[in-house]
Amino acid sequence: MKAKARNADIDISKEFTPEQLKKVDKIIEKFKDRPGALIPVLEEAQMVLEFLPMPILKIIAGGLNLPLSQVYGVVTFYSFFTMTPRGKYTVRVCLGTACYVRGGKAIYDNIKKELNVEEGETTDDRMFTLETVRCIGACGLGPVIFVNDNVHGRLKPAKIKDVLSKYN
Amino acid sequence: MKAFRSHFLICGGTGCHASGAVKVKQLLQEEIDKIGFSDQVKLVETGCNGFCAMGPIMVVYPEGVIYMSIKPEDVPELVHEHLVKGRVLERLLYKEPMTEQRIPTMDEIPFFALQKLIVLKNRGKIDPENIDEAIARDGYAGMAKALTEMKPDEIVKEIIDSGLRGRGGGGFPTGLKWKFCAQTPGDVKYILCNADEGDPGAFMDRSVLEGDPHAVIEGMVIAAKAIGAHQGYIYCRAEYPLAIHRMQIALDQAKEYGLLGKDILGTGFDLEIEIYQGAGAFVCGEETALMTSIEGKRGMPRPRPPFPAVSGLWGKPSVLNNVETFASVGQIIANGASWYNAIGTEKSKGTKVFALTGDVNNVGLVEVPMGTTLGQIVYDIGGGIPNGKKFKAAQLGGPSGGMIPIDYLNTPVDFEKVVELGAIMGSGGLIVLNEDKCAVDIARFFMDFCQEESCGKCTPCREGTKRMLEILTNITQGKGREGDIELLEEMAVVIKNSSLCGLGQTAPNPVLSTIRYFRDEYEAHIRDKRCKAVVCSPLFKSPCQHTCPVEMDVPAYIALIRAERFADAYKIMIKTNPFPSVCGRVCDHKCQSKCRRAGLDEPLAVKFLKRFITDNAPRPQTVPAPVTRKEKIAVVGGGPAGLTAARDLALRGYKTTVFEELSEAGGMLRWGIPAYRLPRNILAGEIQDNVAALGVEIKCNTRVGKDISFEKVDKEFDYIYLAVGAHKSQPMGIQGEDLKGVFGSVEFLRDFCTDEEAWLSGKKILGTRVAVVGGGNSAIDAARVAQRLGADVTILYRRERKDMPAEEEEILAAEEEGVRIEYLVAPTRITDKNGKVNGIACERMKFGEFDRSGRKKPVVIPGSEFTLNVDTVISAIGQAPDMTFIPKDSGLDISKWSTFVLGKGSKSQTTNPKYFAGGDALTGPDTVIGAIASGHLAAKDIDSHIREINGEPAYVEPAAEKIDIPFIIDEESEEEPQAKMPELHAKDRKRSFREVELGYKKKAAVMEACRCLRCDAEVS
Amino acid sequence: MPKISVADLKKIKERVREDNSLREGSQRVKITVHMGTCGVAAGARTVMDSLMGEITEAKVTDVVVTTSGCAGMCSKEPMVTIEMLGQEPVLYGKMDANMMRQVFKRHVLLGEVQSSFAIAKG
Repeated sequence: MKAKARNADIDISKEFTPEQLKKVDKIIEKFKDRPGALIPVLEEAQMVLEFLPMPILKIIAGGLNLPLSQVYGVVTFYSFFTMTPRGKYTVRVCLGTACYVRGGKAIYDNIKKELNVEEGETTDDRMFTLETVRCIGACGLGPVIFVNDNVHGRLKPAKIKDVLSKYN
Repeated sequence: MKAFRSHFLICGGTGCHASGAVKVKQLLQEEIDKIGFSDQVKLVETGCNGFCAMGPIMVVYPEGVIYMSIKPEDVPELVHEHLVKGRVLERLLYKEPMTEQRIPTMDEIPFFALQKLIVLKNRGKIDPENIDEAIARDGYAGMAKALTEMKPDEIVKEIIDSGLRGRGGGGFPTGLKWKFCAQTPGDVKYILCNADEGDPGAFMDRSVLEGDPHAVIEGMVIAAKAIGAHQGYIYCRAEYPLAIHRMQIALDQAKEYGLLGKDILGTGFDLEIEIYQGAGAFVCGEETALMTSIEGKRGMPRPRPPFPAVSGLWGKPSVLNNVETFASVGQIIANGASWYNAIGTEKSKGTKVFALTGDVNNVGLVEVPMGTTLGQIVYDIGGGIPNGKKFKAAQLGGPSGGMIPIDYLNTPVDFEKVVELGAIMGSGGLIVLNEDKCAVDIARFFMDFCQEESCGKCTPCREGTKRMLEILTNITQGKGREGDIELLEEMAVVIKNSSLCGLGQTAPNPVLSTIRYFRDEYEAHIRDKRCKAVVCSPLFKSPCQHTCPVEMDVPAYIALIRAERFADAYKIMIKTNPFPSVCGRVCDHKCQSKCRRAGLDEPLAVKFLKRFITDNAPRPQTVPAPVTRKEKIAVVGGGPAGLTAARDLALRGYKTTVFEELSEAGGMLRWGIPAYRLPRNILAGEIQDNVAALGVEIKCNTRVGKDISFEKVDKEFDYIYLAVGAHKSQPMGIQGEDLKGVFGSVEFLRDFCTDEEAWLSGKKILGTRVAVVGGGNSAIDAARVAQRLGADVTILYRRERKDMPAEEEEILAAEEEGVRIEYLVAPTRITDKNGKVNGIACERMKFGEFDRSGRKKPVVIPGSEFTLNVDTVISAIGQAPDMTFIPKDSGLDISKWSTFVLGKGSKSQTTNPKYFAGGDALTGPDTVIGAIASGHLAAKDIDSHIREINGEPAYVEPAAEKIDIPFIIDEESEEEPQAKMPELHAKDRKRSFREVELGYKKKAAVMEACRCLRCDAEVS
Repeated sequence: MPKISVADLKKIKERVREDNSLREGSQRVKITVHMGTCGVAAGARTVMDSLMGEITEAKVTDVVVTTSGCAGMCSKEPMVTIEMLGQEPVLYGKMDANMMRQVFKRHVLLGEVQSSFAIAKG
């Protein structure tokens, strides 16, 4: 599982708006009494906040009456959750088999060079976060990358610059 | 009114707009103004012509000419040509599409025709967001039957009888699973759908959820009724937002109709279904881990028993089935068990959906009856491998599965057979791999996946996969050690046996299966540091060099062409290859097959560049190599293998003598390849400069066993290298083969090359209608020579063109010169009149099963016999060495293919330690470059053997002249195809034996050299 | 919406079949844009947009546009099926916005099947 940075010191009142935090409370309220609520709560909370820093995990643990260790354990287990802030655009490079055999690795190396970040990192201007994914099922179009929800298929390393320059 | 000479009507429709019509229009106006034609030409924007895909479109009146796909950069030329010169610019002229072109029907396209759709029956047919459309195609009919007419145990029985097995991977009988759960007492039970499709390369579940969600709901309701569940969950990966979205709509619509929820269809049965989003953990595809995850915890598996049927989600009896399984259930109930179990093989019933991806032409979802062969799936439905590459293996079952190599294309794919071959059916991801994929690298890829996805609960899985990955990574980086393969095998067994869940139990499968089928590749990586597929880049400098049998430093001499240092380029070449002029003409250029430039446009024309250097470089002065060693060495056979060995041995200080049977050295290069491909003086020059000038004695007209006895050679020399080639045509084994007018291709070509004068002057006559049987280079050479002698030539080949072993360029050239080729025919006998050939009887062939080379075997079409009227037949179906000169008591073993047998542990020493062998006489017919490599190896082995016996230190190559290789590359590479090789026109070469390829001019060569991507360069 | 019974399933089936059948006047052409993830990734959405634009511009009312899931041949996405009254459906592959415009103008409006883009019929 991917290592994730701890960020206990983040000031959530600066990072998030009161509306966002209110929404999180509502989400907790909605799922509170349901069995197995933790993962759906985390999913929806991340949808609102974009990332889940430690203070938020504490709020969720308190709200659902779960030990913080369990919440932290779940967040770090599933690759969908992130505890660090993210870029405006998430670039996800598919390294599933079909993309890999069609040159996904070269695409990935090229993007790393272009953005000057490693996997899981965000560019200094908080524009792009680079991730890899395992097969998103668009194998027919490999190699593919996602920029947020947009898929770019049948890529060649030389086209990377063009693709990324469309996002600003 | 003002009269214009010309009207330019440019399309202003949306389509042309989108393809840049505005810019083109503006440029047109500027260009027209520039040449001062403004008052003669009127530029008008018109409505759409409806040829939007070819936009921007422009119609020019009064001529009525239509131009299409006009790019801004075309404008000056267009205006200049059309207006100033008054000529139509052909390049941009609208071409009438072949409107009469017939569109094939679905039944005529194997991709569609060979599929049997059950799970995918609604694909592309319904709007998945409209429940009525699903109902209109019999959606929920099975559910209605199950709820109104059947008792739970009847449903279970029907499913058991149908033979349906879990489609998620395990293949456990679905009905049995239901039965166990139904028998477990309890008020609260759960029905779960596994839609956490995590295998890379598998996307069938996603497609079903997106395209036909109601089929899944229907199956779940039926299952719920069978086991007595009233709550269901669909556990779907969050990576599938569209699937989740459509499934949610489907659930809502079903609920509105009362097909879900309370009192379904008024039958009193209740079921609620919720979607539960997975959060990105591969292990959650495992059933117990999935349940733990729904419970809101880290998704780790738990030990079984108790099985989920007894204690599953929240400790309650639960049934978990995969999407594809549920999607089959409704139709089984509606149509009955016997309808379903009539499809498939004995133990695997029904159909299976495969996600066909990788190196295959038709990528997509494929639903076929169980038992369809792998070859049918890959070749017939998948349309084969793109770009003329070869099939290597199919990877089945993702990270838990294995590879099925080329030898098993005829294997019927079902649960049992696939396991027998070391793969698993898995969820049905079928990834086709071509020859450019490295088995070790693929194993490493899957191990990387598994070690990252291991949940960490079981130590052997957590630590073992890490350790295995480390070993595999080392091997791919050239740091593999003896014993690594055995260690991997040992660890695999431990991990499999000691892991709780499917992830660990199957994680070593890809490694085991690649070791099983591609052990030689592992060994080559570990021992020789070679990656046959040219993937593991730490093992080599550049793909071209790694692919070349003599590892010519291709990027270096190409860089020197770019720098116009041709003399240095030649020096680089002869370091590894004494015959670059030859290889610049007749090499099969394996280097080009792996050239990375091909990913952008086309591979570098390495062969042509090599030829360019030899045409233009001054030759370095060769001085005789001093004889410093006492051992004398004989080489039998003056072909490329023998001459290369002789050169190397001379350079190492040995007195070497070459015995050549014919009047000139060169072997097949001199006596098999016609002069129009390889001019005689070029070959002779290179033999003189690079072999004879070193002091090697070449004794022509001296056949060992005839002109000098075998025994005499044995006595006079300390070691003997046997490189006699394969100069005897294989017989076809058909009636009439000994008639007058039937030749073997090798014999014919040799006779022609020996006595060219007689043939050309008409003293020797071939015949007027010639049939050549075979599809290799020798067949093409014979055909092209015969054509040049004025005959009407037909090549008969038993497979299709793409299967011909001859070089594509050669085949094309033969066709241009007028040679006809009949495919899929095989001769049965040669007919005669008064002992003279008058025809060849043939049968037409069609394709049957796959053979071991992965090509389909041609089989005779009964009753298809026909006779071709010919007066000459040339058989070119293969050649073998002539071993009649070897005495029985020589201690040299000969194989059943008439080739030399090697001594144990050597790649060149024969069963008599005094004798070494190489070239075609060892391998059977191979390429020039293969023979050269063989010669290098033999020289090295002979020298090492001598030194070892004498107790001398190993040979150290003297320091070579240092040639610095310039490093200039372009930042951006524009698409640019290969430079064309100038050739004699086909009509000029019909009766001529002048060289066909004329060689690059300097400008073309330097431009071609600039295309090199310099893969050898290490940029830090 | 009322809950339905088993008999209603049959009625819905018949009604949809009736509704979906092409007929002169109201519903002459049915165009299906295949929009699974593969299709969307390959650009099906742009194809759909250009189709809707053309329909609006041409002011036709007897053309029904619908979406469906993946048609199975991912390497030929985006795919579009055109069904015209009295003719076999034609499946087009590797479509883009301009090819869609051309197919609409030439095939749907003028009845000229654009065979160079077609994969199969039937």
